Amino acid sequence: MKRNWSIDRRTFLRGAAGAALPLPFLNLMEASGASDATNLAGDEGPPVRFLSLFKPNGVHPPSWNINGGTEHDFRMSPLMAPFSQHKDDLLILDNMGDYGFSSHANSTRRFLSGHHQNTNQASLDQILADHIGRETRHRSLELTTEGLFPGQIGCSYISYGPGGERLPRESDPQLIFDRLFRHPMAVPSKRREMSSLLDRVSDDAKSLQRKAGSEDRDTLEEYLSVVRDTEKRIERMEENASPPSINFEDLERPPLATNLDDQVNAMIDLIALALWTDSTRCATYMLGNSNSRMIFDFLGVKEQHHYLSHFFRNFSRENIDGLLKISLWHMEKFDYLLTRLKSFKDQEGTLLDHTVVLFGSGMGHSDNHTAQRVPTILAGKGGGMLKTGRYLRYAENQELGNLHLALMQGFGVPVDTFANSSKPIQGLDGSPFEMYQERPFESWIKLTSGKITVQGRLVMSENLDEAKTFYMEVEGKDPVRVEVSFRDFHNFNLAYHVGTPITLSGNRSDKNGQLLMTKVTELKSVFGKSDPRKAG
Amino acid sequence: MEPTAEGVSVFLEKYCLQCHGEGKVKGKVDFTTVSASRPTDGDFDLWELASEVVDYEEMPPEEEKQPTVEERAAFLQWYRNVYEKVEAKPGVFQPRRLSAPEYRNTMRSVFGFDLENKVIAAEQTVTEPSLILKLMPTDPPGESGYINDTHAASLSTHLWDQYAYFSEAAVNQLFARVRRPQLEDLVGKELPGDFTPTSLTQTQAAALLENFANRAFRRPIPEEMLKEKLEKIAGLSGNRLLRAVKFEMRAVLMSPAFFYRGMMMPQSPGKQQSVDSYELAERLSYFFWEDMPDEELSRVASDGSLNEPEVFQAQVLRLLESPRARSLAESFAVQWLVLDEIDDVYADPTQLHAFKNQPIDFLNYLFTENRPVMEIIDSEVTFANYITASIYPKDRHQLAKYVKPKGIERASVPNQKIRLEKTEGRGGLLTMPAILAMNHGPIIRGTWTLRHILGEHLGEPPADIPPIESTAGDRSLSFREKFARHRSDAACARCHDKIDPLGFAFEAYNDKGGFLLGRDKKALPKLVSGKSSSGNQIDPSGKLPTGETFANFEELKQILMTSRREDIVRNIVEQVLSYALCRDLEAYDAPTVDSITETIVNSNGSWQDLFLEVVNSLPFRETVFPE
Repeated sequence: MKRNWSIDRRTFLRGAAGAALPLPFLNLMEASGASDATNLAGDEGPPVRFLSLFKPNGVHPPSWNINGGTEHDFRMSPLMAPFSQHKDDLLILDNMGDYGFSSHANSTRRFLSGHHQNTNQASLDQILADHIGRETRHRSLELTTEGLFPGQIGCSYISYGPGGERLPRESDPQLIFDRLFRHPMAVPSKRREMSSLLDRVSDDAKSLQRKAGSEDRDTLEEYLSVVRDTEKRIERMEENASPPSINFEDLERPPLATNLDDQVNAMIDLIALALWTDSTRCATYMLGNSNSRMIFDFLGVKEQHHYLSHFFRNFSRENIDGLLKISLWHMEKFDYLLTRLKSFKDQEGTLLDHTVVLFGSGMGHSDNHTAQRVPTILAGKGGGMLKTGRYLRYAENQELGNLHLALMQGFGVPVDTFANSSKPIQGLDGSPFEMYQERPFESWIKLTSGKITVQGRLVMSENLDEAKTFYMEVEGKDPVRVEVSFRDFHNFNLAYHVGTPITLSGNRSDKNGQLLMTKVTELKSVFGKSDPRKAG
Repeated sequence: MEPTAEGVSVFLEKYCLQCHGEGKVKGKVDFTTVSASRPTDGDFDLWELASEVVDYEEMPPEEEKQPTVEERAAFLQWYRNVYEKVEAKPGVFQPRRLSAPEYRNTMRSVFGFDLENKVIAAEQTVTEPSLILKLMPTDPPGESGYINDTHAASLSTHLWDQYAYFSEAAVNQLFARVRRPQLEDLVGKELPGDFTPTSLTQTQAAALLENFANRAFRRPIPEEMLKEKLEKIAGLSGNRLLRAVKFEMRAVLMSPAFFYRGMMMPQSPGKQQSVDSYELAERLSYFFWEDMPDEELSRVASDGSLNEPEVFQAQVLRLLESPRARSLAESFAVQWLVLDEIDDVYADPTQLHAFKNQPIDFLNYLFTENRPVMEIIDSEVTFANYITASIYPKDRHQLAKYVKPKGIERASVPNQKIRLEKTEGRGGLLTMPAILAMNHGPIIRGTWTLRHILGEHLGEPPADIPPIESTAGDRSLSFREKFARHRSDAACARCHDKIDPLGFAFEAYNDKGGFLLGRDKKALPKLVSGKSSSGNQIDPSGKLPTGETFANFEELKQILMTSRREDIVRNIVEQVLSYALCRDLEAYDAPTVDSITETIVNSNGSWQDLFLEVVNSLPFRETVFPE
């Protein structure tokens, strides 16, 4: 697909351009006095940061999934193309998630909380923030793009506090920038400026006071007492201030965002800057609510993202194109984030080398909300925590909690369980894990009048003109085409079984000599579970 | 006992002083500080409180000796003689900090743009697009009940930091490329195409500072102050000039003369006087718009013509015609009628948008289209969209057909005005679905109507009375019968005689504001009694304490429109006047309230008439400065 929007962003740093900036060596460890527990790269290394980027509304699985390939030898899928330049920095996880379906709200909670029923515990990012974020000026950042969705409030939150409570989110890049780098009390030049402003306004107020009646004098007295209190606060700040590690005044405030693309790019710039300046070590960012109603008119798409994500029910070629344009835009933002993280040098290596990035969505198939093969990618070396450049397709479905537990342990949080999980996912650091392996199976077709039973591998059509069509691949024969109603698609959870061998029975209505199944009556998995009626 | 100062002194001696003055001062109420023979304005609050607790029999406490009915009546008569026959006079001048919405709007008017909180406002989501409203603490309502009554909400260092932040953000943004038109507007002339902020000239800078200060102060900046400012920038250029200009602008915005109102009004201490034309303009614009005067209003303030009655009237009508006058409905009426409680009823923002805007659109129509005041109770007009259309099955054909755009799941669309030609039981504010839904059950509906529509001040329920469920646990009694039993206790009856009949009149409407009875029962709202779809008996009839009876809500509405008209108008006058003056009403405002009420009642006056009366009233036009 042609990209008609620019990702060539200007940088905040004056004089900085391109990748891996030749910035003066900055010992962030010394500046912030971080504890040893967070120091995974040895005594001298920089701190390890955690960052999570959330993609709304699942994916169109045939465009996302990697089929075939091995741990070290694999081809990235079409949706992954925008960030394929970072292949060596990625750890692509597959078979993440569980059997069954998931509501938008449940899938959102699960994204960083391990399980949707884990509603009275902090999410992964917050547990990490407790561990790595205590030394920084900002413990963590919780960022988003879209307004709150009160009809299903859980769709708007991935970060949860110690009691499982929803944490407020911020969306305005300028506001975040100001909080990080322009707080009038935290920056020396701002303090000086405020001091002179206080002098000036108190002179003005006193001249008013001389002319005023008693009621105004009371008001002015109150005003002046606030002015004096502020002066005292500044003096205290001045006395207690430690010299800043980086001159924040050289940072340029992001320009006023005029559209979604600008807003998101600016926020990604800021996240990178916040991590690099060690203003915070932990951030989460939602590219939209998990059931995002946003409209991407700057991509020429007029329909809401959520509407398009139900691409089976709302099928048209045009809708699929719109959906993929939006998904590709999300992938470009991930690409931009990685590029930015790489552009900052951080002692030996780049900022990305000392960060764990968790990118993903809440669900697999975006129309029937399959909770299996949930898009999940780790990026960055995490100071040695992750061995990147690999594709890990696990033999068994892995609950998200297993991944979260492994990351907590990687960061040195002393925990054995999280949510429903007590088995940390294996293989992230290059340790052995059980890879999914194709098992041999027989494939065949049985025909009776009007009926068909076929055993073979179920695949989704890769042809976007027939995005709701499936095929049963049978060795040595033409594939059987499967064109069924949404009800059958959903009730038998075809999306879950995609890529695996099943036995499928149903009504037959052949078309142009090709075998065609129009209604499913029975589905049996050759090796796995068949009953889709399990809540996720 | 006679309703005289001596009588009251004896009354106090007998029933009050034991706990409130002689030795003990319970609840900070001390009658030794006042004298019935010399009641002053300053004592009004205490005497008002005393008269209320005597009237509602809240004092003396039950275990103490009680005054006779005649004694109570004489006390109240004395209070009314003293405080309700006072001469009208304006309030003492008090500067007042801008409320959060006033500050937001004023900043917008000064700069020509809003400080935004960037967030994508997709359909069905809620956002706070204003950076100012997002960060400012919520204003507590003052004694008047309105948030523009900020007298008691003091300035804090937290607020100071917010003001400082907004000032810097706005001044910086003014010099951003995208704000060039707004900068040119403030400089007063077009800037060259190759203009950059550091190419600002001395002439441009001086014009900018003067125009900016004049706008922000809502009156010309004193010459001396302007001179000082210009001295600060004299001789500077380039980046140093830009920094100095920005600094001076921020000093203006942090000055008490900006975020307080009335700080720069010229004053003669101790004298009752008309407010000057700038203050008058500001009083008008903050009342109708929650915002500073616009260019035209500032112009007639500056040439003094605003003081001419014709010009004044024309300006008032112009302000009311402006779309910005919607602030009367969105701010004044929402606070008066506690319409924000509707927010808790509808989780989906498109539903909330449709249902909450019904009363707001309706009140905006009454306020700005010269409709009679009493149409708030009964009207042939309502506002609806595709979401609320089903409430008006026989009139919904008037709505333009709504075609859902492709790919949009639910959308908020504006309401449209319709006439209630065939719909029964829906005219007026009281039976709008959102009003019925935010007030669940007969007691809350009755209390809300009594307090907010009829303007009765109900005392607090006695603390020792258990809630109704436990007093009348007998399952054989209906809900209504339980309340009848409740009212048999005199302490309860004092309020519930008034509350219950009003509340039970709404019995035909369910908790969501729909009709309780099945579709087949055609004469629903007029029904005296009947069975609901769930089989329960519906009885919307009642008898008011005045003895008037009604069979259903429609009949009650006729009573409200006729024999209770004066009570309702008086309440509305008090609410509007209090909001316009940004303060609680005092004893000396009573003559103003009386006179406006009489005018509106006698002429079946419109809201526009009422607003004109208010802005021409003594307390609005004049003030007194303390010595």
